[in-house]
Amino acid sequence: MQNIDMTKDKSQLDWRAWAKSVILLGMGIYLTVLIVTGHLTNYINLRFAWLAYLAAGIFFLLGAVSLHQLLGSPSDEPPEAHHHSHITWRMLAIAAFPLLLAVLFPSRPLGVEAVNGGISLNPVGVSSAAAFSRSPLDRNILDWLREFDRLPTAAALNGQPVDVIGFIYRQPNFADNEFMVARFTLSCCVADAYPIGLPVRFDSAQNFPTGAWVRVQGKLKASDFGADFAPVVQASRIETAAEPDQPYLYP
Amino acid sequence: MRLNLPAYGSSLKRIKMPALILLALLAAAAFQILRADSYMPIAANVFATRFLGIFIEAAPFLLLGSITSGLIEVFIKTEDILRWLPKNQLGAAIGGACLGLAFPVCECGVVPVTRRLFTKGLPVSMGIAFLLAAPFMNPIVFASTYIAFGFGPVLVGRFVITALVAVTVGMVIGSFAKPENVLKPQSMHTHASPQPKSLRGKGLRVCHIAADEFFEMGRFLVVGSALAALMQTLVPQESLLALGSGPILSVLFMQILAFILSVCSTVDSFLALAFVNTFTTGAIVSFLTFGPMVDIKSALMFGGVFRRRIVLYLILLPFAMNLLAGVLINAVLAY
Repeated sequence: MQNIDMTKDKSQLDWRAWAKSVILLGMGIYLTVLIVTGHLTNYINLRFAWLAYLAAGIFFLLGAVSLHQLLGSPSDEPPEAHHHSHITWRMLAIAAFPLLLAVLFPSRPLGVEAVNGGISLNPVGVSSAAAFSRSPLDRNILDWLREFDRLPTAAALNGQPVDVIGFIYRQPNFADNEFMVARFTLSCCVADAYPIGLPVRFDSAQNFPTGAWVRVQGKLKASDFGADFAPVVQASRIETAAEPDQPYLYP
Repeated sequence: MRLNLPAYGSSLKRIKMPALILLALLAAAAFQILRADSYMPIAANVFATRFLGIFIEAAPFLLLGSITSGLIEVFIKTEDILRWLPKNQLGAAIGGACLGLAFPVCECGVVPVTRRLFTKGLPVSMGIAFLLAAPFMNPIVFASTYIAFGFGPVLVGRFVITALVAVTVGMVIGSFAKPENVLKPQSMHTHASPQPKSLRGKGLRVCHIAADEFFEMGRFLVVGSALAALMQTLVPQESLLALGSGPILSVLFMQILAFILSVCSTVDSFLALAFVNTFTTGAIVSFLTFGPMVDIKSALMFGGVFRRRIVLYLILLPFAMNLLAGVLINAVLAY
């Protein structure tokens, strides 16, 4: 019975084995492309980039081994190492799904469209055990929110200079001259991406469309913003900026 | 069975799938060339980014688990396992909870390894305890938890509760189920081919088994990542977080969050760190103990390998026990 099955399946198994090798090598190539183009930063915290290197290597190894069995002559390998796979077309199709998405969609970091449910002025998750201080002009949005978190009053930072890069986020209840300059924080991968932002006031804020990347310079002044009383950046200068190489902030 | 099919039907079937995949790839390529950059619906693009992010983060661990499974199949003999086994249930369950120290896997890799160990004759209580405990009980996750929280209530709580829950659930399931009743019939099969003698042959075989394992388990990882990404795209995290106060509700919501986020156990400590100031300690500990045991991805993998009754036990018991533990921690810390 076993023997009949194997001969009967032979041509079909070959097709599947080819698909298997192509998908494995394709995964390896996809990860390599992400690493080389730097698009890997769109998906995971760079702290874990080595995982992608490792995975690419294993994918290439596994793909090469299954290709080797297809191409090599049977006498080329120990007969008992010859492997009869029991994977089905459905498994192959599902495993190919990530590759399909990778081909279909351009690689983009999460932007303003991914803000789901608004950006809170009192966000969770910004405070960190590692307290450190940078000079005001070197602080990014995350550093500022950590500063705010430590402060006794919203007004304690009045007059401090701010120079940050982020994308523009607006809510319906914002005035014309108001927006938030926002970033996503990432602990591990985009699964835990969380939007944070600083409130900004600028007279010709309407000139900058929602979602655009901007560099905001100005001074902090505590004032009403929506329903909150919070430190608000009184911007003196706003310019469009290129999307940063590392689009997310790592807490 | 297959012999009875008309030749035409089987050859059509043979041609259909590769042709369909090829067509889909061609269509995708054509689409890629034709489309303007902003053409794709934006929500779909956000979904794709989230999905690929989870998949890329988890795939390395699934691969490592698959290779471990291949190594066990080729290098460990059933007799070896039976020789080293503790004789009684409790000893077996405790041994299972500690087995992760020998097989460092996270929740994406633990299911194929557990299945492989079951086919090698591991007792039920030991395998179940291993399944639930191993994603935390391993050097990598000890290290990441220590780096994130230092030595304190979170690290100790995570250790104690994981061990207690894993051993208890292992004993409960072990008390009524035999190995052959735990796995679905189709996952019980072992590779019939003879074991290779040469080292090269063994190496090749490990790779073949690992590749197959990747496809078998990968489908659950893909579907699980897609579900998790969909939930995150549709359900605002903010709305979950807003609900998370109070000594009981906070624990409940952190467990649901752990289930939905499906973050790998090797890195979930860094994520939990972000919630420290908002959530009760019990909620943080439950997030860290329940998440590695059960999340969307691993629940699907359970469903693919274990029988339905076992899957229900594997999800509901840890959920209830971790909830209880989290609430108890909050009660103790409050007084």
